[in-house]
Amino acid sequence: MSSHDHHGGALPAHPETATLEGKNKVLGFWLFLGGETVLFGTLFATFIALRNQVLDGKSGEELFSLAIVAAATILLLTSSLFSVLAVQAMNRQDVKGIQFWLAITVLFGAGFLGLEIYEFVHYVHEGHTIAANAFGSSFYALVGFHGAHVAFGLLWITLLIIQLSKKGLTTVTAPKVYVASLYWHFIDVVWVFIFTVVYLMGKVG
Amino acid sequence: MANHEQVQSSERIKRGPAHEGPRNHFIAFGISMALTLLAFVAVATPEFGNTFKVGFIIILALIQAFVQLAFWMHMKDRGHIFPIVGLATGFFVFLTALFMAVKLLWW
Repeated sequence: MSSHDHHGGALPAHPETATLEGKNKVLGFWLFLGGETVLFGTLFATFIALRNQVLDGKSGEELFSLAIVAAATILLLTSSLFSVLAVQAMNRQDVKGIQFWLAITVLFGAGFLGLEIYEFVHYVHEGHTIAANAFGSSFYALVGFHGAHVAFGLLWITLLIIQLSKKGLTTVTAPKVYVASLYWHFIDVVWVFIFTVVYLMGKVG
Repeated sequence: MANHEQVQSSERIKRGPAHEGPRNHFIAFGISMALTLLAFVAVATPEFGNTFKVGFIIILALIQAFVQLAFWMHMKDRGHIFPIVGLATGFFVFLTALFMAVKLLWW
C-alpha cells in the first residue's frame, strides 16, 4: 500500500487515541454530543407539544410527502455507512481510502441537504412558513436546526479531506477523522427520530 | 512491554484477521434500512390503528438508534465503558423526565 508514504510508517495501531490530546478530543466530543442531545431533546419536546397548532394553515398530514422523506432518509443513512468506512480505511492507515469515503459521505450529505431545501421551498409556497403557526415555528426550528448541523458537517468534512492531503494521517489528524465520523453518525441518529416523530407521526395524525 | 504489544497489534491489523473489518457495519446498515422500511410501511398501512402505529414506529426508532450507537459509534468496541455509562445515565434522566411529563402532568 502507498499509505506508508504519507506518515513514515510509525503510526500506532489506534492513532485517534494514541496521544493524550487525541483521547481528550474523543472524550470531549462525547460530552459535546451529550449537550447536543439535550438541545435536540428540547426542540423535539417543543415540536411534540405544538405540532397540532396549525391555526388555518395546512397540517403535516396534508403537507408531507413520504417519498421525499424516504429518499432523504436513504441518502443520509447511506452516507453514515460511508463515514464509518472512512474510519475503517483509517484503521488500515489508508489515506486515499479515508479521503475517498469521506468525499462520498459529503456527496450523499449534500444530496440530503438539497432534498431538504427543495422540501422547505415547496412548503413555503404552500403557506407553511416559520411564522405561519406554532406548528411551523417548531417544525422549522427542529428540522432546520438538524439541516444546519448537516450543512456544518459538510463544510467540516470537506476541510478535513483537504487537510488530509496536506498533512497525511498523523496522531493529530486521526482524532479529527474519528470525531467527524462520530458527528456524522449522531446527525443520522437524530434524523431517525425526526423522520419518526415529525414525518411519520405527522402522517398518522 | 506496552510498546512491544502495540507493534504486535499493529502488525496484526496490517495482516487483517484480528481486525474487525466492515462486515458488522454492513450488517448494521442492513438492520437500519430494514427498520426504516418497516416504519414507513407500517404508517402507510391503513389496517393498523393510529395508537399502534405511533408506538410501533417509536420503538423501531429506539432500536435503530441503539444499533447505530453500538456499531457505527463504536459502543460495542472495547474501552467504551465511560461513554456507555454517560449514555445510560442520560437515558435514565430522559425516561424520568418523560414519565413525569406524561404520567404526572398530562393525566
